[in-house]
Amino acid sequence: MSDEPDRDLLAAEYVLGSLEGDERREAERLLADNPAFARSVATWQRRLTPLAAHVAPEVPPADLWGRIETAITPTSAVPLRRRVRFWQGATAGALAIAASLAAFLVLHRPEPPRVAVLSPIAGGAPVLIATAERNGELLVRPTAAITVPSDKDLELWALPLGETRPHTLGVLPSSGRQLAAQLSSNTQLLVSLEPKGGSPTGQPTGPVLYGGYLTSIEPPRG
Amino acid sequence: MSATKTVLEADDTDVLLHRCTAGDRAAFRLLYDRWGGRLYGIALRITRQASLAADATQDAFVQIWQQAHRFDPERGGPEAWLIGITRYRALDIVRRQSREVPGYEPDEREDESPDALARLISTAEGAALQRCLGELEEDRRRLMVMAFVDGLSHSELAERMSVPLGTVKSWIRRSLILLRGCLAS
Repeated sequence: MSDEPDRDLLAAEYVLGSLEGDERREAERLLADNPAFARSVATWQRRLTPLAAHVAPEVPPADLWGRIETAITPTSAVPLRRRVRFWQGATAGALAIAASLAAFLVLHRPEPPRVAVLSPIAGGAPVLIATAERNGELLVRPTAAITVPSDKDLELWALPLGETRPHTLGVLPSSGRQLAAQLSSNTQLLVSLEPKGGSPTGQPTGPVLYGGYLTSIEPPRG
Repeated sequence: MSATKTVLEADDTDVLLHRCTAGDRAAFRLLYDRWGGRLYGIALRITRQASLAADATQDAFVQIWQQAHRFDPERGGPEAWLIGITRYRALDIVRRQSREVPGYEPDEREDESPDALARLISTAEGAALQRCLGELEEDRRRLMVMAFVDGLSHSELAERMSVPLGTVKSWIRRSLILLRGCLAS
């Protein structure tokens, strides 16, 4: 139990599930940042979960396992490994973006890469370039050095067209973890500021800083 | 069809979770076979739509796969962890959709009888909760169940019980304080 009674009660309400709006967001923030609060949540989960005995199991849709398997499978058609790589220290500016795209196109013909240019949500110059190759590798490169507080990480998310919940692609820079989502064109890539190690909830908990759409770039012909 | 011959004891969910941390997909499949129906049922009860329940259950299992290393048996059994993740994903979906309340009636299968509480006794935690819920007034006990099981928010509960929002919040807080004292004793 937490040393702070009010917060322990907030944890209880969070587990009960009745919180909404600002109170729910506050609980999610504390869950991410405050170990004592997380312990309170775990304690209340242990206490209240027997209430779930009220609910009878139901037969899930037949395609559910396939959907889950797809979601955790690193690549689409070919079972190759897909990784996030983060290249520090690229030079800044639009010229650098153009140059890197051009170099990429030349080096990687005939497979057209798909590219997302991620800009600050609030507006401004591009900050990250993400290129998805057919071999399943996703390269994420900053146009300039990006700094975050030492207790925070940047987490990359994919939001496919028409969906409302992003899938995590891992923390930047990656420690070699595999991506867990298929990336189709018109997928929106988002970067949020998260607690060290990434979002504890499976959804962005911090501010979404950068975003951009993954689009196919046709290689120059001739 | 799975050809696996692996046989695990009923309480080996924590073993399966541990194997998931090593990327063992066969263990993950066993976990799904064992828990899929239970977790989907819980998500369906909260979202009340098959498609949303499937989304929530999918999100939950993806999170379980990715975060199996975060399961800490010291903090409680795997059941509480798995059900917790599923409920939060289902609640994420219904809170985001700002579910329409008018016309909603709780599932008729909901069983408010004392017999339903008797089902909690199968574990020590359940027996303690049942004993302590028994100390609450009947309508406060129903409030707890509707919040946890049906995923109703404070404002949805207020509407359903036809009482002001502040009253519902106060009832819930006082009930939780009573439960905390009772469960600690």
